[in-house]
Amino acid sequence: MTKVSLPIFECRDVTVRYGHILALSNVGAVFERGVIHAVVGQNGAGKTTFARVLAGLVRPASGQIKIDGRPLAGGNVKDARRSGVELVHQSFALPPSFTVAEAMQFGAQGGRFFTKANLEKRWQPHLDALDVKVSARQRIRDLPVETQQGVEIARALVSDAKLLILDEPTAVLAPEGVEKLFDRVRRLKERGVTVILILHKIREVLAIADTVTVLRGGKLVDGPLPCNGIDANRLAELIIGPAVARNLKPEDKAALTGAAVISHAEQHADIHAAPVLKMRAVSTRADPEGPALDGITLDIRPGEIIGVAGVEGNGQKTLVRAISALTDVVNGEISIDGTNVTRAPLAARRASGLRIIPFERNVEGLSMTSSLWENWSARNLLQIPLLSTISPSAIRRQCDTALKQWDVRYSDVSQRAGSLSGGNAQKVILSREMDEDARLILAAQPTRGLDICATSFVWESMRNARARGCGLLFISSDLDEILDISDRIIVMLSGRIVAEFRPPYDLAAVGAAMTGMLR
Amino acid sequence: MEDFVIAILRSGTPLIYVTLAGVIAQRAGIWHLGLEGLMIAGACATVLGIVLMQSIWLALLGAIMVCVLGSILFWFVVEKLKANQIIAGLGLTGLGLGGTALAVQSIFGTQAAVSAPFGLPRIGSAFGSFGSLSILVLIMPIIVLAMWFMLRRTRFGLRLAAAGEHPFAARSVGINPALMRLVALIISGVLCALAGAELAAGSLQIFAQNMTAGRGFMGFAAVIFGAGHPIGAALAALFFAIVGALGIRAQLTFGDRVPHDLLLALPYLATVLGIWLSTHLRGGTKAASGFGELRDQ
Repeated sequence: MTKVSLPIFECRDVTVRYGHILALSNVGAVFERGVIHAVVGQNGAGKTTFARVLAGLVRPASGQIKIDGRPLAGGNVKDARRSGVELVHQSFALPPSFTVAEAMQFGAQGGRFFTKANLEKRWQPHLDALDVKVSARQRIRDLPVETQQGVEIARALVSDAKLLILDEPTAVLAPEGVEKLFDRVRRLKERGVTVILILHKIREVLAIADTVTVLRGGKLVDGPLPCNGIDANRLAELIIGPAVARNLKPEDKAALTGAAVISHAEQHADIHAAPVLKMRAVSTRADPEGPALDGITLDIRPGEIIGVAGVEGNGQKTLVRAISALTDVVNGEISIDGTNVTRAPLAARRASGLRIIPFERNVEGLSMTSSLWENWSARNLLQIPLLSTISPSAIRRQCDTALKQWDVRYSDVSQRAGSLSGGNAQKVILSREMDEDARLILAAQPTRGLDICATSFVWESMRNARARGCGLLFISSDLDEILDISDRIIVMLSGRIVAEFRPPYDLAAVGAAMTGMLR
Repeated sequence: MEDFVIAILRSGTPLIYVTLAGVIAQRAGIWHLGLEGLMIAGACATVLGIVLMQSIWLALLGAIMVCVLGSILFWFVVEKLKANQIIAGLGLTGLGLGGTALAVQSIFGTQAAVSAPFGLPRIGSAFGSFGSLSILVLIMPIIVLAMWFMLRRTRFGLRLAAAGEHPFAARSVGINPALMRLVALIISGVLCALAGAELAAGSLQIFAQNMTAGRGFMGFAAVIFGAGHPIGAALAALFFAIVGALGIRAQLTFGDRVPHDLLLALPYLATVLGIWLSTHLRGGTKAASGFGELRDQ
């Protein structure tokens, strides 16, 4: 038998370095035409780098890439696009102030001059043909994420794309959105487009892909392997790596790779204990960060992890900001450990045991240009009078001890926080926020962007805090991890709590609640 | 009334040119605080060019070259040396103000104002009392429309805006954001030269130290006031010119009864008021978000 078609794309010995970090090393693979390929791996495995190399956004230090048998000039987007390669980014790359039509136009060929009307006339049919339900006149910033993604895919298809790469397209979507996306991808396949999906959930891989390729630590582990008949457990082992897999609980392993839906059934909290956080009909005003909270009533008891599920931008940020006194509460009441703190400033709330692991660890969590000990001591410094003296050398010693306990890898407590890796930076925040006096911990996306080891470390820390009797509010956009470690799950939609779930959880029901389609 | 319109056109035209210079820079993602420096360099080069070369066209060409070189320097410092654009812009302004004083001092041996024997060509007597205005006033509306067309109705304009607003998005479709910014700054430099030329050789024919007197910064304010839209910003600049002209009118009318300094401060008060108004009408500055940083991934 002879092979009829050339591979759409092959790479050989592709190596990418960012400074001293080896992002990809000697990756070589051959991808067949006309099918859906999945590339999987944990954070830091090099998936995004791989996608960007293909799209010409990153120039490999060495190696060769061929599209359709034609060698690609490395690090040249124009050349990659000429060969028919288009990349849809994880956080979409569309200028927010542009209209949809303008966003189509700026990367397209032809139409050097235009009027508003002929722009719309040009692009509306294109959007309609791809079943992206949007008016070409709308502005990008006004669109919900799913639509933005549709627009970005439509943008990628303005020219005659042969190879479409989607970088973690499911990360921003609710389960229903994922289904719709997969339908769209299947239709593209029917049109003859080869699709590479960067994913990190095995469940999704098995639902959509024809082949799967596994990356770990910048190396190609295996692939492309045909997806039919592949074993999910085996795939999970490939993704995590044998050494780490041995030390993980089976349900954590499944949560990390999305291999199976986990649902723990232990109830840790004492339901008669007084709640550490009590919110009664709390409402706020809308602000640029997100919608207003609308009548939030919530109790968190000691020794309880409450998972907050929901599509991003449905009030999760406002919830954290309301509890941490960063936005005004218009109506309702917030109590921490029995004390009404509705009007209390953050310092007072922190004194009652509130701790925050913020959404943006590099912006809100740490001062990247300050030293580790300055960052670490910030919490205590807030609690002492403004004019009291401090002893930096004593703080440095305490900081050193504390960071060692938390297994932070660093060379000197005086080094800048910005020099740490994501996982280590998060550990500095954990060591500061998960102290013995903590009563209520807000953990906002604490594992985002972390690799496996750091992720499971964060989970363990949260479980330890729970065992000590802390109440935790755990916000994540990764449903698998919410299901794995939460004792109770609330679902937020447009600033309201629309559903509450107790174990055993039903992933489909949680997903439906996220989009307001709960029966 | 005619006098009043002429006065507004006279003071408004340089301001509109420098505002357009700020608009194109802002579209490309640069908050240009060096406008003042480039404008005075353009004014100085125009007058020195007339005096030394006896040709208005050579003088204009020289002014454009000086301002474009200044723009390229600014681009290099911001883009290649990764300097903060606000600081670099203020530095450019300092360089322009100081450099022009130094140039005059070293050529003429005095700090006094330099006057030129002739200035820009006039519109001509066919336009009645408007005839004394320079041709740069006449083509100003055309330039405003051309800028609007270029920035809002061409693919080049979209790419420039993409490079400014979301450099990574631009890069992912094969646009080089740094190059787009260079192009924008060069055009911006040409406009600054025209602003300076009109100021020094339009109705006056003189260069004095510090003669821009903050017009570059008012142009910058007009960019924000006009939300970065070429026509909006040009109208904002025109508004400032009207307020300024009214201030002068008021001085003539009220004489000593109203403090002189208060009337002189009118345009600047209007600037502050205008910006405050525009941000409130729009509900927060989308223009000011990401002030002074270039986002990329």
